[in-house]
Amino acid sequence: MENLVNPKLRDELKKFGVQDWEGCYHCGQCTANCPLTEQGQLFPRKDIRSMQMGLKKTLAGSLEPWLCYYCGDCSKECPRNANPGEMMMALRRYLTSVYDWTGISKLIYNSKIAEFALIFIIAALVLILSIIYSQVPDRSLWITPEGGVAINQFFPVEYVHFGDMVMFVLLAGLLISNIVNMYFKVIVNQGIKVHFINYFTEFWALIWNFISQKKFSKCDSKPYWYVHLFLVTAYVTLFVMVVAFLTWFQTDTIYAWYHPQRILGYYATLGLFAGTLYFIYQRSRKTKENSKHSHYTDWTFIVLLFLSTLSGILVHVFRINGMALATYYIYIAHLMILTPMLMIEVPFSKWSHLAYRPFAIYFARLKKAAENKQKEANMEATYKLKESIA
Amino acid sequence: MEEYRIGVYICWCGTNIAMMVDVEAVVEEIKKLPNVTIAKDYKYMCSDPGQDLIVKDIKEHHLNRIVVAACSPRMHEPTFRKALENAGLNPYFFEMANIREQVSWVHTDRIEATRKAKGLVAGAVKRVVHHKALNKRYVDIHPATLIIGAGVAGMSAALEIADSGQKVHLVEQCNQLGGMVRKVDLNYPYLNSSRQTISQLIKNTEEHPDIQIYTESKIDKISGYIGNFRALLSNHQEQRELEFGNILIATGLKSFDPSIIENYGYKRIPNVITSADFEKMLYSGLIHCENGKEPGNIAIIHCVGSRNENYHPYCSRTCCMTALKYINQISSAAPECNIYDIYADMRAIGKDCEELYASTSKKNVMFLMFDQQHDLPVIKQNGNGKTVSIEFTELLSGESIHIQANMVVLMTAVESQANNKEIAHLAGISTDKNGFFIEKHPKLDPVATTTEGVYIAGTCQSPKDIPDSIVQAKAAAARILATIAKGKVQVEVTTAQVNEDICCGCQCCASVCPYSAISYNEDKKVSEVNEILCKGCGTCASACPSGAIVSKHFTDNQILSQITGVLEMQIETA
Amino acid sequence: MNYKPTIIGFLCNWCSYTGADLAGTSRQKYEDKIRIIRVMCSGRIEPTFVLDAFRKGADGILICGCHPGDCHYHEGNYKCLRRFHLLQKYTQQMGIEKERLRLEWISASEGKEFAELVDEMSEKIASLGKCMVKETLDTYR
Ligand code: SF4
Ligand code: SF4
Ligand code: SF4
Ligand code: SF4
Ligand code: SF4
Ligand code: FES
Repeated sequence: MENLVNPKLRDELKKFGVQDWEGCYHCGQCTANCPLTEQGQLFPRKDIRSMQMGLKKTLAGSLEPWLCYYCGDCSKECPRNANPGEMMMALRRYLTSVYDWTGISKLIYNSKIAEFALIFIIAALVLILSIIYSQVPDRSLWITPEGGVAINQFFPVEYVHFGDMVMFVLLAGLLISNIVNMYFKVIVNQGIKVHFINYFTEFWALIWNFISQKKFSKCDSKPYWYVHLFLVTAYVTLFVMVVAFLTWFQTDTIYAWYHPQRILGYYATLGLFAGTLYFIYQRSRKTKENSKHSHYTDWTFIVLLFLSTLSGILVHVFRINGMALATYYIYIAHLMILTPMLMIEVPFSKWSHLAYRPFAIYFARLKKAAENKQKEANMEATYKLKESIA
Repeated sequence: MEEYRIGVYICWCGTNIAMMVDVEAVVEEIKKLPNVTIAKDYKYMCSDPGQDLIVKDIKEHHLNRIVVAACSPRMHEPTFRKALENAGLNPYFFEMANIREQVSWVHTDRIEATRKAKGLVAGAVKRVVHHKALNKRYVDIHPATLIIGAGVAGMSAALEIADSGQKVHLVEQCNQLGGMVRKVDLNYPYLNSSRQTISQLIKNTEEHPDIQIYTESKIDKISGYIGNFRALLSNHQEQRELEFGNILIATGLKSFDPSIIENYGYKRIPNVITSADFEKMLYSGLIHCENGKEPGNIAIIHCVGSRNENYHPYCSRTCCMTALKYINQISSAAPECNIYDIYADMRAIGKDCEELYASTSKKNVMFLMFDQQHDLPVIKQNGNGKTVSIEFTELLSGESIHIQANMVVLMTAVESQANNKEIAHLAGISTDKNGFFIEKHPKLDPVATTTEGVYIAGTCQSPKDIPDSIVQAKAAAARILATIAKGKVQVEVTTAQVNEDICCGCQCCASVCPYSAISYNEDKKVSEVNEILCKGCGTCASACPSGAIVSKHFTDNQILSQITGVLEMQIETA
Repeated sequence: MNYKPTIIGFLCNWCSYTGADLAGTSRQKYEDKIRIIRVMCSGRIEPTFVLDAFRKGADGILICGCHPGDCHYHEGNYKCLRRFHLLQKYTQQMGIEKERLRLEWISASEGKEFAELVDEMSEKIASLGKCMVKETLDTYR
């Protein structure tokens, strides 16, 4: 039945990180403080209410959690310490599992063991594939004329690139299907009628937001935003280079330091390294609102990202310095960390937010456009009615 | 002829009067009136220095009439009369003009308000010259007390009075003592046993030698006045007469019948029950649906018949906390049961009640808010016959929602007893629009009534919880004991009096007097007023065709001069 | 200049005067044309008072007592009601508009109702304009 109150949902949501149920007494302080509140969008109190009441359908259709960037202003002012910001975070985790039709996301969020098992399985798979496909060449070929390690001799870039492509298709397929699922939950199932043309007119907003992560800048906490921007651009750069242009990125030739390949590589690495360090520091210090509460998946993510970066740096350092064996081992380790991280995080966990957020903005705009259309239609109808009476 | 020397005092009442009335301008205008010896304004006339000012002026300027323009005479007339007495002047040489409650607090145009104040003071000045000295009269107090209603309030007061050795007649219409509380299992907020408390109280009352209990009895008639009341009391067998000096009314209240609320389907849909029904279940120790099974989902709806213009506009005061009590009782009896508490506002007034709310919200309960004014939930019976669905718009989320429940408990309102009007009539007091008895002053005197010697306590005055009822009952008992201790009480001096020279003996007066205070003197062929019985309504004075009756302190002269004063000033200042 | 009419109110002490006080304590605003004279019971109000007030220049007269059955002296208000009908016939014959003399029941809890009553009556009296009784009698004097 529609909108049935469901007290059982609370227990389920607990696993996604909701701590204090009774805390919120709906004073509305958080809504007043949230920089995103507009008419009709009651951040974050309304979602908290839906969670308390177990309104599954309303929650599944709610876009607010994705628009929230966890500035933490709401939590700071909450008179009951109900942690509304963290509730929104927990809701994002929950929604990720709602959009994911495979059920893997839910599994990861609800069970530490499952998550680690998955990581190990994928890592093991990578190890096996590496053993099968890597070719240890003659010692003479280990070192290139420039004095670096010839990594392509050990691991032909075509193979890795092929693996990349397979993974890319898999990830993209999963992610896209989840986004389609999200579309059904937030637009179709909510009975929102979007005019065909709006799908295009609202699209530019999506593009722009993906580039700038603009909404976030509304939050007061500027440094946080810059770090986040740095991290995201770094990640995207590296992702594109590694997944789409690996043949250009992974060369045996060592270019001069100002070559774009190296500049981009350094930028991205530095971004990831500094970014992850910064977040690890924040999460362990627990002073900022958005870093006070950590679900174990948050730690897994940040640690995997940090380790991939670290191992990537080591690959680079060993390679330039001609330390061939070390390069090879650390390269395999790098792949063993990187692959599970991408496989788990991109479609099922934290990194999927990167896709859901801009789409949420897109869907929110579609929703608004539909509402406006409806309003216009209503007005027209009233107008006509008045005219016919006159 | 007596020379009139009037002192007029205009009070600022801080800023209460002064902000809307140009007090100094009033003084200037009043000074011009004949007989006004002095006119002054002062910040707070009712304060000690204010009263001293009057006393000093009376002595210094030999004033013999005083007018104070300040708050309502219902508030401070006794205060100023006392000041006059202190200065050796008869307290009735005094008149008040009400320029606060009836001018500064209700008007918005300062010039007009000032003009009105001038008129009212002028009226008082004109009136006061016609005031006559009246002397206080006292009557003896009969030491017994009549208490109507033997609930917690009635019994607490009875014990308080009887413990100090005075006789109490305790009248109860049911066959048992205990009232509403007897039907309750546990008390909030401490969830202790109500039965124990009430049975101890009943036992003490029944065993007390100075408390005479009359169960299944009702009062047919009350006559007399403070200190000397009489009542006719009857039960099935006999009628008897009681004598007593004071009356305490503690008749309590009753439950509202929710079957008139269409949405809830009470009596129509199975497993929709009232809080009283549920209380019975708890009392028997078993929570069960009509099919005998323990319910897995219970919904509790608040404000049923309360706070809604269609039923009762007031808050019934105890149901919110009772609902919390139920939640606690349900979760200890059936921990797996889902409880939905559908409330309008959670009113956790009273000691430790907010704490009860806080601890209850940790139970397996979901609080859902509804609009008790405009959008009552709708209860529908489901096809399976076992559950009902409740549909409404939840206010905090704005969502229209459904709940599936096996049992619905309606927190029904309480309402005044059906016979309150009758009792009010017997005792000469009044009821408000909801049928509750009206106290003498809502803030300053919530125990007494407008009739001397008649007090009210407990829920017959307004819905309240047990401690509040007991507080009021004991306060009333203290007031009654105070009059008994004094032994005498002052009675009305502003009675009617027949001028025998003018009376033609038509007896029109006697026919209108509600207290049969007028009798016909066959010898003198005139009517006479019994001043002990007369309460000074003045109806006889208006009825007398010969103008032979003087209604003391409200004589024709006094009222006509007041009219003159008001209107002359009105025309002058226009 | 705008003529400012005056209404004289005769209010019984127990219900209506208390009700008017309640309007004050609850800060209900109402028209300032009324001047209240307190009597113990509406039963005390004599026709003479009413006629005298008109004679001295009142433009309207409002008598208030307790609701039927609520009179502090049981039935003073019934006595008042009986007199009132007769009195109103009489004043009408004198050429005073019916609306200038009213009898209404106001209980001790009806502060708001009292304020509304005064506003309504003030408006009516203002629209009727000045009551000419005083002028007429003064010229014949
Ligand atoms: S989360 Fe906190 S601030 Fe927000 S409504 Fe609830 S209690 Fe108020
Ligand atoms: S964290 Fe910031 S953006 Fe998110 S709901 Fe709270 S105040 Fe709004
Ligand atoms: S006590 Fe609570 S349930 Fe009862 S009438 Fe008042 S607000 Fe409603
Ligand atoms: S109504 Fe007047 S005249 Fe008639 S008996 Fe009474 S006092 Fe005398
Ligand atoms: S003033 Fe009232 S109570 Fe007294 S004798 Fe006259 S009618 Fe009776
Ligand atoms: S006391 Fe109010 S009308 Fe009699």
